[in-house]
Formats: sequence, C-alpha cells, structure tokens
Amino acid sequence: MNKIMRILLVVTILIMLPGCDYRILERIGFTYAASYDAAPENQVEIGISIPRADPTIDLVRELHSAVGKSSKDARVKFANETDLLLVNGQIRVLLYSEALARKDLSNEINSILRDTSISPLVKISLVNGNAKDMLFKDYKQHLSTDKYINRLLEKASTNNRIPKTTLYEFERDYYDDGIDPIAPILKEQAEDITVDGIGLFRGYKYIGKIYNKDVLLFSILRGKFKKGDMGLDLDSVRDNDGSHEYIMFTSVVSNRAVHVKHNANGPIHVTIAANFKGSIHEYIGDLKLSKDADRHQVEKKVSEILSERGNRLVKQLQQYNVDSLGIGMHVRNSMSYEAWKALNWSEEYPRIKVDCQIHFKAKDYGKIR
Amino acid sequence: MTFSQVLRTMMIKDSGKNSGQEEQLPPEQDIRPPTLAHTLEEFQDCSDITHLTFPNHQTDLIYFDQMTDKDKLSRHILKPLLSGNDEEVAKMLQHLQPFRMTSSKSLILEILSGGVAVFNGQDAYAFNVYSPENRAISQSETETVITGPHDAFTEQVSTSLAMIRSRLKSSHLKVLRLSVGEITKTDVYLLYVKDIVNMRFVEEAKKRISEIEVDAMLDTNMLIQYMDDSKYSIFPQFLTSERPDAIVSKLVSGRVAGIVDGSPSAFTLPTSFFEFFSSSDDYYQRWILGSAIRLLRFIAFVITISFTAMYVSVTTFHYEMIPENLLLTLTESRSRVPFPPLYEALLMEITIELLREAGARLPTKIGQTIGIVGGIVIGQAAVQAGLTSNILIIAVASSAIASFVIPSYVMSASIRLIRFGLILLAGFLGNLGLVFGIAAIVIHLSGLTSMGSSYLNPVAPFEPKDWKDIFIRAPFKSLRERPTQSDSPNKVRNKTKE
Repeated sequence: MNKIMRILLVVTILIMLPGCDYRILERIGFTYAASYDAAPENQVEIGISIPRADPTIDLVRELHSAVGKSSKDARVKFANETDLLLVNGQIRVLLYSEALARKDLSNEINSILRDTSISPLVKISLVNGNAKDMLFKDYKQHLSTDKYINRLLEKASTNNRIPKTTLYEFERDYYDDGIDPIAPILKEQAEDITVDGIGLFRGYKYIGKIYNKDVLLFSILRGKFKKGDMGLDLDSVRDNDGSHEYIMFTSVVSNRAVHVKHNANGPIHVTIAANFKGSIHEYIGDLKLSKDADRHQVEKKVSEILSERGNRLVKQLQQYNVDSLGIGMHVRNSMSYEAWKALNWSEEYPRIKVDCQIHFKAKDYGKIR
Repeated sequence: MTFSQVLRTMMIKDSGKNSGQEEQLPPEQDIRPPTLAHTLEEFQDCSDITHLTFPNHQTDLIYFDQMTDKDKLSRHILKPLLSGNDEEVAKMLQHLQPFRMTSSKSLILEILSGGVAVFNGQDAYAFNVYSPENRAISQSETETVITGPHDAFTEQVSTSLAMIRSRLKSSHLKVLRLSVGEITKTDVYLLYVKDIVNMRFVEEAKKRISEIEVDAMLDTNMLIQYMDDSKYSIFPQFLTSERPDAIVSKLVSGRVAGIVDGSPSAFTLPTSFFEFFSSSDDYYQRWILGSAIRLLRFIAFVITISFTAMYVSVTTFHYEMIPENLLLTLTESRSRVPFPPLYEALLMEITIELLREAGARLPTKIGQTIGIVGGIVIGQAAVQAGLTSNILIIAVASSAIASFVIPSYVMSASIRLIRFGLILLAGFLGNLGLVFGIAAIVIHLSGLTSMGSSYLNPVAPFEPKDWKDIFIRAPFKSLRERPTQSDSPNKVRNKTKE
C-alpha cells in the first residue's frame, strides 16, 4: 500500500474510532463520597453519593446504597440503579462506621487500594453512629453533605483540630514499624456534623478514641505543627480559692523531641519533650501578663497542666496498646536492627515508662497591657 | 490511479515541458550578432514594447517603456536624437561605446532587465535605464516590533541589499549572485561575512541553489523549500525574515543569508528550531524582559500544541485529573453537547482556522467584520446553542492566541497543523496518545537537519553555553561567542570590557 493511502487510513481510523467510546464526562457518575456500615450476617452496607450537574434537572446529588458481602458486591447492585457509568476516580471521602471499624477494615481498605483510579489523597474518617445516615442526610445550612464533610475534614486538618489522615497517611502508618494508624471521628450533632475525636487503630482494627479536648495535645505529642487553638482551665492545679482562671491561646509553632533511654534491667524510658509557642488570646485571672514574672508563672502553670494531661493520654494509649504517637519508631531508631527485631514491641509498649515534658512559651499576649 | 501516481505523472510531464522549451531555443543564438530584425522577431506580439525609428540617423530604439526611467532615457538617448543634430548623436554613440553588445542573447536579456537597445547601422548598444515602479519602504506586516527599527525589505532586491549594506559597512560582506528559474531568470543573492562565516555553508547553499531546475522562482519561501534537507517535513528548515536588522544580526553571527529578487523576505541558514522563537524585540528590550518574553513564547508553544488535545483527552478518558471545583461546571456545560469531545474540539478548531484564513485573505476592513461575527458566533452562540462547552471555547481560543505569539508565521502555521494530529491522538488514546504524539514530534525534530547541521541545536548536540541566547536572552556582556551552530572560524563576537 502506498504512503498516502496509509496516512489517509490512519487519519480515518483516528477520526472514526473515538466514536466508539462512551466514557465521556457527562455520562460518568463519579462517586464523591462513600459510606461503609456493618450489616447483619457479616455483610456491609455501602452508600455512595454522586454529584449531578445536569442543568435540566433540579438535583444536586444522587444517592445509592446496597448491602452485600463485599464492597464490590454491593457496587454491582447499585450500579444497576443509575444511568451513569459509576467510577471511583474522583472519590474524596470514605466514611466508616465505628461498629464496622471495630470488627476490621482490612477488606474495605484493601479493595480501595486495589483500585488504581482512587487517589491516595482520599480522606478516611470514622463515624460515630450510622455512616450512611450521616452521608444521606441533607444538612440545611450547609453545602451538599458530601462536599460539606470533605471540606470540614480538610479545614479541621489544616487547623490541626485533627491530624491529617488520608489513605496515604493511614497506609504509611499501617506499614511503618513502630506507629499505628489513626483516623478522625465525625458525629452528627443536630443540624451539623462535628469532629468527635480521633480513632486509634491497631492494624485495621479500631480500638479506642481520643476525645476532643485532648486532640490538640495529641497533635503536639505526635509531631511538629504550625497552627491550633486550645483553651485551658488553670484552676485544677491551683488551690481552689474561688477565683476562676482560664486561658485561651493559639499555638504558633510546636516541635517535639523524643529521647529514649535504655535501662539495663528496667523498662525503656522515653521522654517526649515538646516545645510550643503560642499567642495568648484570652486570659481570665488575676495575674498581669505584661509583668514578666506573672507571665512566667502562667506559662509554667500551662506547661504543668499539659504535661500532666500528656502523661495521662499516653497511659491511655498504653492501656489500649496502640502506639499512635509513633514512640516505637524512636525506640527502633535508638537500637540496632537485630535488637529491634528481637523486641516484641506490642508486648513491650504497655510496659515502657513515658514522661511528657511540655514547655509552653507565650510569644505575645496582644495589645493589652 | 492513486494520488501519488497522478502526482508523479504530472511531475514527469512538467519536466518534459522544460526540456521541450530548451530545444525550441536555437542553439546558435548565443553567438549570433545582434540585429534589429532578429530582436524585433524575438519580441513579436509583445505589445508593451516600444520601438522608435530615427531614419535621419539610421538609429532604432527598442525598450520597455514601463520599466525605464523616462528622465534618464530622454536625457541620454532621446534628446540627442530628437535634436536632429548629427554631432550630438555621434557624441551619444561615443558615450555608448562601453555598452556595445556582441551577442543577440545578451542584448535581449538587457532589454528584458530594463535596458534600452540602440541600433545604429550594424552596431547595437544596450544602455541600462531600469527604473521600475517600486513600493516604498514600509513597516513589516508580519514581524512588527515595538522598539527598534521598523523598516522592512521591499520586493526590489537592490533596495533590500542597500538596506543590509547600510547596516553592515564592511567590505567583508560578500554578495554572490546566482540565477534560478529557466523562464523567470530570477536573481538570487547569497550574502555572508567573510572570515566569520563557515565557507562550508556557503558552498553547500550555492550547490543546492544551482541544482534547482524549475520554470519559475517567485519567492524566498518557495526557494527554501527546494533547498530543504527533509522535503516532507512539516517544519520550516530555514528562518525567513523581512527585517534587515534581523538578517544583519544573523550575518554577523556567522550565518549565510539569501534574498530572492521580487521577494520581500530573506532567509538565513543554518537554522535551528529555537530561532523561530526569538524576535528582534528581545534584543532591544532590557534583558530580563527579553528573557521573560522568550520563555513566554515557549510556554505558548506548549499551550498551542497541547491545550485542546488535553481537553479532549481529559474529558474523554481522564476525569480523575479534573479539579473538584471545575468538574461540575465542566460536566454541566458538557451535558448539553451532543457530540463526543473529539468532534466538538475538531468543530471548534476548524471554525477558528476558517476564521483565521478568511481574515488573512480579506481586506482589513472586511477582516474586522469577520472578527466580530466570528467572535460572537464562536464566543457565545455556539455555547448557548449547545454545540460546544464553554471550557472548550477557552481552550481553543487560548491555543489559537498562543499560536500567534510565535514570531515566525511559517512556524506558527506548522504548529497549528500539528495540533490537529495531537487532538486526534488524544481523542483516540487519551493522554497516552498525547504522549505518543509529542514523542513522535520530538523524534522527528531530532532527526531534522538544516544544511547538514542539527535542527535542535543547541539542545542536541548539547551546547549549554548557547542556551543563554536561546531560552533566555542573557545580558549582552555574557553573550560573548557566536552560536555553535554557525561553526564560525572566528568565535568571539563581544570583547567589551566589563
């Protein structure tokens, strides 16, 4: 065949063949968020939310749910209910109910990992209650629920209300030696959704949770971060003389160092030294912050309260036997590989002695004198 | 019969015609002495020729009235003849002695190039009084600059050469005259600066030009296609410019320039792909601005070849790549369009090309109308009618605008055509197709040569020291050597002390 005919043929093929394809944007239903709930007989109930943008219909999102043995099994069922080709490439949020997570999430997460079109940046979150109900409910004063949850999680993690937990971070912590994964927990609260705390995992199993008031402390102990708000009642350490003392500050910079000391015949001794600087936003009490001595007194008080709470938090983690702070990584780094291999960390962890030393420094206290 | 076969037979016919004409010319004409009778016979049926007879002096004049300078003609030739004074006629003939013609062929050539033939008895003289109507020197339409000289070459080669000479006052500027075109006998001038140019390129250019055997040579852009290394390539392999300052800068950087008589553009060789992205303006601006604009042109190149193709591949195959916020607007505007993205994109691209072509061929005033009609039709109505999505309009428009950022019109036209290939590939295989297409372009570019030197110079072969005058326009103090591609025997061009 001569050259020009061949070129003509190629061009014709190139023009004709795209007609066969129907994976075109407007005929695709991209799942935006998915919920996973435990269903009877070891089954799972999957709910998905698909945003729709057809100007001819007054519909913001399409919702489907089905019960099946696995997530893919359920998918096949609700794929029959829609005119769109269901795809996963734009999925942003995965919601798992606490009940399901307490059993095990390995099947669900593995099926997510197996799908190459799903971004590792998909956010993972637990739901206190029924995940499907939360996803399917319309919250009147918010965007469509799927977007609302996505942005809520995004904002909360940039403000360090919760640590960032995408599939990538979850998997990294899962596979890393000496740290256990975590995920935020969401809760429905009247007409809003709110962060309920942080879920602690051992492997793919949900073990326990850190309540809201300790979340910032958890972030401080877990690593460095830049932004976060915290309010503290300072009365607890003070002799209760009736006056109320309260402080509210924004942490600006925080870093932590973990020191590991091996004792010859005692448990491993770990010191978590965290320094953070903050701007004091509110202070209700008798001391004058503009006086250096008074301010140092407040700083000291805050440090003491936080250190004590930190110790309590670590105790709690040790009780659950989840190393969500990644202490194991530091212990591992402090010894040889053979020694680490020989050490059964999950057995050793509840026994080690952890000492939290948190130092707070007021960077500024506003324009008030 | 296939198309190529038709083409081939046509080409064979053409060459047959050529050889036929050569046979028609009497071979003895070269040596034949010039006679009035023969000359008149030669110009038989040329009603635009003027033949004056002065029987008192046995003198005949033959010339083309519209090609001659009336003043010169009357002063030197007509006045003595019309005065009727024998003495003056004799004096005139005395003056004409140096222009005496010995062969008929050269006399005819002289008449054709604007001379007046004077027959006096047995003798024939040809006196050049050539002065055709000429366009005044004006601004270049295709290569305008904001700062810097605004004059451009005209169709008359003597003016163009004068413009170069006046800018490059050196006896080392050599001008070779060659002739191309069996019938048109077009003059082609090759210019170079002795001791700076590598004579290899001059010899090669001379060889290639003298090998051309064709009826007519009308324009520089036509000539360079005969000289191409790869005649089937879509890319222009010689830089053409209408700007004398650009040509002079190429000459002093050790390149060879060429001008075809009757064409307002000159070409330079050897040429690299990246030269098409630089404009004289870059050198007249401050260097940071020049560099920024040059980088912008490379970005424009990427935009123009890939934007629409990217739209097609993303909407057809890779919905994952679309940012969340864009996704819904895109779906919304796509949902009313009845065609797959590929046909949608082709439709819009072809419409834009139609508009551009219509605008280019029409007079400026009607061209504006076309612009308005096109703007409304494409910009608004097409979206409202649901023929295209508005994101595509943006993609098509920005890639069209970006294509005009490339200073060389020839290169920008080539790139615009390549875009269609990439759109087709993107519609067929998505991003994979796009990558295939771009890889094919890169492979093709790497294989191209211009006068035997690599087209991708200085990227391949790797000459990083030239990059500061290719991707950016570095300050003059760091532009100390001539480009490697011109392979100049005299490398240093800037000896200014810092």
